Amino acid sequence: MINSITDSLEQYMNVVSLRQKLVASNIANADTPGYKTQDLDFQSSFLAALDGSSPHSAEVSGLATKNDGNNVDLDREARLLAENAMRFNAASNLMRSQLNTIKEAIQGGKS
Amino acid sequence: MSLFSALSVSASGMAAQRTRAALLVENIANSETTRTPEGGPYRRKDVIFSSDAVGSAFASELDSQLDSQQLTGVRVAGISVDRSAPEKRYLPGHPDADASGYVSIPKVNPAEDMVDLMGANRSYQANVSAMSAVKDMIQKSIDLLR
Repeated sequence: MINSITDSLEQYMNVVSLRQKLVASNIANADTPGYKTQDLDFQSSFLAALDGSSPHSAEVSGLATKNDGNNVDLDREARLLAENAMRFNAASNLMRSQLNTIKEAIQGGKS
Repeated sequence: MSLFSALSVSASGMAAQRTRAALLVENIANSETTRTPEGGPYRRKDVIFSSDAVGSAFASELDSQLDSQQLTGVRVAGISVDRSAPEKRYLPGHPDADASGYVSIPKVNPAEDMVDLMGANRSYQANVSAMSAVKDMIQKSIDLLR
């Protein structure tokens, strides 16, 4: 909206928050029989988001399936939860510094 | 893409685990109960979880306009009651003993229920962590306006 950096940051935050929603959903369903872990491929989702198309989630392969058909790995989800929070934090700090630059230009250098 | 729907997902998980914990506590409390309103000894209860689309009416309407992603929360689909034959214990002096001196005792293994209760507790904590992480992200977005 303001420049290409803020546009990219906006899409980045969108993809991170979508991924965080999938993680929350996986944690909520950690004891649901037959539930399969959902996630998205970060790189391809982000590139797709920059092109304007919406990212798609998919089932994760390579996880150990429990006897009830559920394959949620809580350690994996905890890692992703922390990772997404930190990524979002970094992006929001960058966004804030961009916005502060604009604000400074608007105010003509006066604080 | 609203992060608020992630809060409903975590809330549904917390509610489901709370129901599970309540039933497990009921099982432990009634592990020696020989009389129930339905007659006979207490029967062990357990939850059945199923994944389910979440959201309030407002949120789901808004999401269907804005969002293609459908999030899955969890709900308690039902409560299963153990209908198998109860244990027999030889207690001739017991008021509920049958003619040959055996009493029907609930088939509840307190150790098993305690372990399940710890599992429910851990899952509840995991949902709380997810909720607080999402809450921090929402707060960070709001702080951009300052």
